Amino acid sequence: MDAAHCGVGSLPRGQFRTLLVDDNEAFLTLAGHLLEDNPRLKLIGCGFSGYDAMRLSESLKPDLILMDISMPGMDGLQATRLIKAQDSPPIILIASHYNDAEHREHSARAGADGFLAKRDFDIAINSVLDALTTEQLHG
Amino acid sequence: MAEARVLVLDANDVRAQNLRGLLQFIDYAPVVHESCATVMSSGAKPADWVAIVIGEVLDTPRLEQFVSWLSKAHERPVLLLLPEQIEAASQFEALGASCRLLELPLKYMQLNDLLKFAGLQRMQNDAMATVNALGPTGNSSAVRRVRRMIEQVAGFDTTVFITGESGTGKEVIARAIHAQSHRADKPFVAVHCGAIPAELIECELFGQEAAANAVGNEARPGRFDQAEGGTLFLDEVGDMSLPMQVKLLRVLQEHSYERIGGTRSQHCDVRIIAATHGDMEAAIAKGRFREDLYYRLNVFPIEAPPMRERLDDLPMLVADLIARLEQSGHGSVQLDAEALNVLRSYAWPGNVRELANLVERLAVLHPGECVRPGDLPRRFRPHDKAAQAVAAHAAASSPVHLRPRGDCVLPEVGVDLKDHIEQIELSLIRQALVQSGGVVAHTARLLNTRRTTLVEKLRKYGLQREDVEADIAGEG
Repeated sequence: MDAAHCGVGSLPRGQFRTLLVDDNEAFLTLAGHLLEDNPRLKLIGCGFSGYDAMRLSESLKPDLILMDISMPGMDGLQATRLIKAQDSPPIILIASHYNDAEHREHSARAGADGFLAKRDFDIAINSVLDALTTEQLHG
Repeated sequence: MAEARVLVLDANDVRAQNLRGLLQFIDYAPVVHESCATVMSSGAKPADWVAIVIGEVLDTPRLEQFVSWLSKAHERPVLLLLPEQIEAASQFEALGASCRLLELPLKYMQLNDLLKFAGLQRMQNDAMATVNALGPTGNSSAVRRVRRMIEQVAGFDTTVFITGESGTGKEVIARAIHAQSHRADKPFVAVHCGAIPAELIECELFGQEAAANAVGNEARPGRFDQAEGGTLFLDEVGDMSLPMQVKLLRVLQEHSYERIGGTRSQHCDVRIIAATHGDMEAAIAKGRFREDLYYRLNVFPIEAPPMRERLDDLPMLVADLIARLEQSGHGSVQLDAEALNVLRSYAWPGNVRELANLVERLAVLHPGECVRPGDLPRRFRPHDKAAQAVAAHAAASSPVHLRPRGDCVLPEVGVDLKDHIEQIELSLIRQALVQSGGVVAHTARLLNTRRTTLVEKLRKYGLQREDVEADIAGEG
């Protein structure tokens, strides 16, 4: 799943080219396994810090970033703000160990498009993507 | 890989190893040291840690110097004090440290809650780094008008309703009203109603009595409790569920509410300021927002002006944002006059927030440098040929590549301009939806528009999923 080995070819309609960012390598490995069978996602790379997220967002141009909050150097919220300032920014979902209102509010204020609790993110991601995509057509 | 997020400063080896295990379990990367000297000579910075557990320290005489070093940093870790340091807490706090006690035996819940508090405190400091608590920056007529309204209403307890597009700085206006009111020395508490799921928001606003709390024995205060005597800012109130709207209406009418699991009414003395970026009249017409609550909230309306109506403020806003980044230790950057000019001709769909994000990004990518137009993202440079060549290359793989058409011929009988433009807009949206398989986020990108703006347009044109699916099937 190393970014350098990821092809960026044309993809079926509606599939999200996804970047995973977390300083916890074990979580990245687990998330990679849990999401690889999700037909809506195509994992194209991973990063370990907010700086990685910024750099890979520019170079890989993912459709979706699944981002941890607490990371060394630049945290996930600052990375979210800075990535949202790039041209055509991706959708950013924050994945957090904590699942309380305040973490959700900080994520929303940073400009994230959604919030997932890490404990069930692989299931919850589908409903969040639903809300962000065709479900919105029903307003 | 991971750097230290929590420092354990403890010479009690067994306890330090227990802490290490617990911290790893709850997703933190711990680093253990036995003395202040080894930490300070390791090249670490205070900002590397979200919290520092302090227990038995080999060089106790250096502890004061160590805490003083931590407290001078912009991003200060919270100190979690083990029992042997309890007596030093007041001394550390006098040096500017934020201290919490960590009781023995070590418990997962306690440590988890303390680290959550430490993380939230850092997020709050970061979030406030670019917020002007004194009110909107600038001298444009739009901002002067808003400032006059803030002055008019601040001194009374009138409920204020702030409308305006996303990113226009509605919270800045709310904070300014609070700061100029007689409640200024009491709390200002903000709630982002749109970010909190319906099942959590009642507990978050009104709190929970001890008996009904399934997690622990303590009562949990709500935001109304936290804001007592001060101001409660309800951001994106239009996203609140209908059952919660009923409860909020009662607070506005009777100044009282009930905690979850409680039987007694709590009286409250809280000024309410609400805000939304949505069209409330449309929400009322669709039955999504209660009309009676709207009129209770909309006592003194203030409209936050979009950035495009206050472009004269741009140089002052940029200078103010840079000064705030510098003050909070988030770096620095300069923009040359030409770059500022380029920014003036941009439409700013994301308003002041988009500008704040841009300045913060430039400070990270060009630290301490003077930014020129060529350093700006290419959406700010529509007339820059080199930038557009890159854009065109990137777009070359798109099956539909449209250029703005300037060659329309006006029929002799004239046209209904609004209707004509809407037809063009609808046609492009339909094509983009088909091209992106009905995925709104992708469609928005194809149209270079914000997702929320596109969703509003889909509603306006009554586009339903079935229509798009029919179009997609037709195309296939």
